[in-house]
Amino acid sequence: MFRRLMALLFASLFLVPAILAEAPSTPWEETHSFSWEYNFETGFISTSPLFTGEQLLVRTSGHAEPSVTAFDLSGAKIWEHTNPESTNNDMSPLLHVPAGQGQCGSWPEMVLVGWTSGLVEALNPSDGELLWSTQSEVVGWGVTGELALDGAFVMIPTRQGIGQYCLADGQQQWWTETGLGWRNGVAVDETGYFMGDEAGQLWHINRTGAATSHALQLGKIRHAPLFTDAGILIHAQADSGSTIGIFNSTNATLTQQFPAGFSPAIPVLQGEYIVTGDSSNMRMLHCSSVCVVLDEIPFHTNGEIGWFDNGQIFAPSNLPDSNWGFFTFDDENNLTYSSIEVGLHGYGTASPIQFSDGVTTFTAFGNDQAILRVYSNFEENTTLSTSNLDLGAQLLLFGMFVLLGFSSAFLLNGKREWFLRTSSLFALVLVVLLLPDLSSQWSKSFDEQFSEPASPEEWNEQWPDAWLGTQIIIFEIDGKEYSAGGFVGHTDVLSLTQVACEALDFELSGESTELGWYIDSINGIEGKGWEFSVDGSKGIISVDQSMVFSTSIVRWTPV
Amino acid sequence: MFQAMGAHGPTLSPLTSVLLDVVLLGCAFWLLAKPTKRPIFDSLFMLTLVLSVSLIRVVMQPIPNVQPVTVAALLVGAQLGARRGAAFAVLVAMISNIFMGDGWWTVFQAAGWASIAIAGSRLSLVTSTGFNLGRACMASIVAAFWFDLIVSFSILDGTIGFTEFIVYLGHGLPFDFLHMIGNLTFAIWMGGWFTRLLEEDPSLEEIEFAVVNGHGIDG
Repeated sequence: MFRRLMALLFASLFLVPAILAEAPSTPWEETHSFSWEYNFETGFISTSPLFTGEQLLVRTSGHAEPSVTAFDLSGAKIWEHTNPESTNNDMSPLLHVPAGQGQCGSWPEMVLVGWTSGLVEALNPSDGELLWSTQSEVVGWGVTGELALDGAFVMIPTRQGIGQYCLADGQQQWWTETGLGWRNGVAVDETGYFMGDEAGQLWHINRTGAATSHALQLGKIRHAPLFTDAGILIHAQADSGSTIGIFNSTNATLTQQFPAGFSPAIPVLQGEYIVTGDSSNMRMLHCSSVCVVLDEIPFHTNGEIGWFDNGQIFAPSNLPDSNWGFFTFDDENNLTYSSIEVGLHGYGTASPIQFSDGVTTFTAFGNDQAILRVYSNFEENTTLSTSNLDLGAQLLLFGMFVLLGFSSAFLLNGKREWFLRTSSLFALVLVVLLLPDLSSQWSKSFDEQFSEPASPEEWNEQWPDAWLGTQIIIFEIDGKEYSAGGFVGHTDVLSLTQVACEALDFELSGESTELGWYIDSINGIEGKGWEFSVDGSKGIISVDQSMVFSTSIVRWTPV
Repeated sequence: MFQAMGAHGPTLSPLTSVLLDVVLLGCAFWLLAKPTKRPIFDSLFMLTLVLSVSLIRVVMQPIPNVQPVTVAALLVGAQLGARRGAAFAVLVAMISNIFMGDGWWTVFQAAGWASIAIAGSRLSLVTSTGFNLGRACMASIVAAFWFDLIVSFSILDGTIGFTEFIVYLGHGLPFDFLHMIGNLTFAIWMGGWFTRLLEEDPSLEEIEFAVVNGHGIDG
């Protein structure tokens, strides 16, 4: 009887794939096909493309001449506008402004571009002509946050303040100092403007420029605050994770806090629903009189999240060799996730954009490889087969089924020795296959539980101020230190090392193993290997699994 | 002595490396030579065994922490005794590391496997009724964790604190688990066959001694 029960248990494992089976493709993949792509060759696409009605605009920066490039819907390049003075990663989203008129006069349809050089430019979307420009303050960096419209004005979050500028001619009306900011987007309501800073202060600025601050002490505020019925929602970033906080601006109190993962993404709001993301989860909240977490699902995202009118949610997975996340939210408050294949893998923080020319709906994706890929929807009856048969994987799966079947049969027949043989081999293959994910998750959880305080790297006075509050990397080569900094948005050592090597013009070579990435040589120096530390703590897991924080200092030392 | 301290323990200078290899090799020969000098066929058999298991280790390198040597050391210890088991462990560690990377850790690997071989010689894995699979499975599970612990000591280079070491061990638990499953699989699949392979046929002198002794007792 016991043997039969055990055999049944073994045989029931056959059903596991049926339970875990995913649809061969997502509804989005079934109805969309590749349309065109453009490879910028160098730099990053760090923020969502913008559709202005006729043109698709994409901004690129970082190790390439920072620029805004316009394409028509067939992928032909129409114009390009560059700003060679902007030497850092430009991540302030492009802002489309319809034509209008107000206190300062009238203005045509335009696209506003905020640069890290502090320059803000208004461009004609049809030909890229410069309509006006204005120089805002620079404290190492210039504009990194999301601009906001307020009637006849545009509110520009600068590095250490906020300014009100006329849409008609770019004239500054006023500028008020706040805290040092980073991706410090502005939110507008009837009382004025809200924005956060790196010290974790939430600033309120009225329409005449008078500012008051509230020290929330939740961590760095790196997005435009969101207005919900329950209060102002902030997803603040701290060194030990992040917190979603609800702030009641009437009585200046934090009414709710939800702990979340590392390196939060920029939250998005639709009606009473909010989607947040971080290095651990995507999360759906509902905020009416209070906010409640409706559902969360494991996913790693650290940048923008795209939430479109049709309810589809897209998020770039900011990991090496990763795909994009596609999420839907149903009436029963379930957030479902599937991975979509769009031909772009690896690090990314830019949300895709969905737009229509009236007939066809397009979705445009861009990531850190500076490749733009555009997909268009098509009728379902022309659906192409998207199943890619991996023969090796199929054979392995078949072999595992055979082992499982034989295990059950041997158990039933009382052949103990052969049962042990087949079942142990099955277990071995299973654990070998699971090990990379298992060890990665285990290490992350272990680190979160037992991370020990280390003596952190100290700020070097010779470093430029622009590196303050950013990610920095140091290479020790032949007794000399080579540093690169001013990096943002990197969540692991590998990504940060790659970008630093590009900046220093160092050749980096490494290999991907089952246990993660291993760096072989830096700047041609192989030695007996390289080891790294993050904020003074020696790295003991692979570079792509070792996390870095927004202000981490990574040091590479040859062994 | 050490050129540098690294994630895998101190990096040895070429001279230290050679000295270490000489010491290890000396240990292996000493273990093999005592208490009695072995006939040439015994030595050839041991050489073949060492080379084969080393080759298997090198070939299986892409699969992380699946270590056929652990079970082999256990069974060689059980069948050929502690001395030859320990010598086998030292030689396999040295020869396979020529291809997989020699260093400070070789000493710890050799020590780990040698201690497992010694344990194997004491655990009665092979009795008069044959190979005791249950006991061998238990021993191979413990051996996996023991070996990984011993090898982990190789990272202690004076810069790693106790907590850091515990965290390091904690990170390695999934790999210890894989080592354990791998050992179990080897013990179950190969244990019986391998112990029969290592079974020593009694020499003519031993047969004669047994017969004479038997007659003596009968008489």
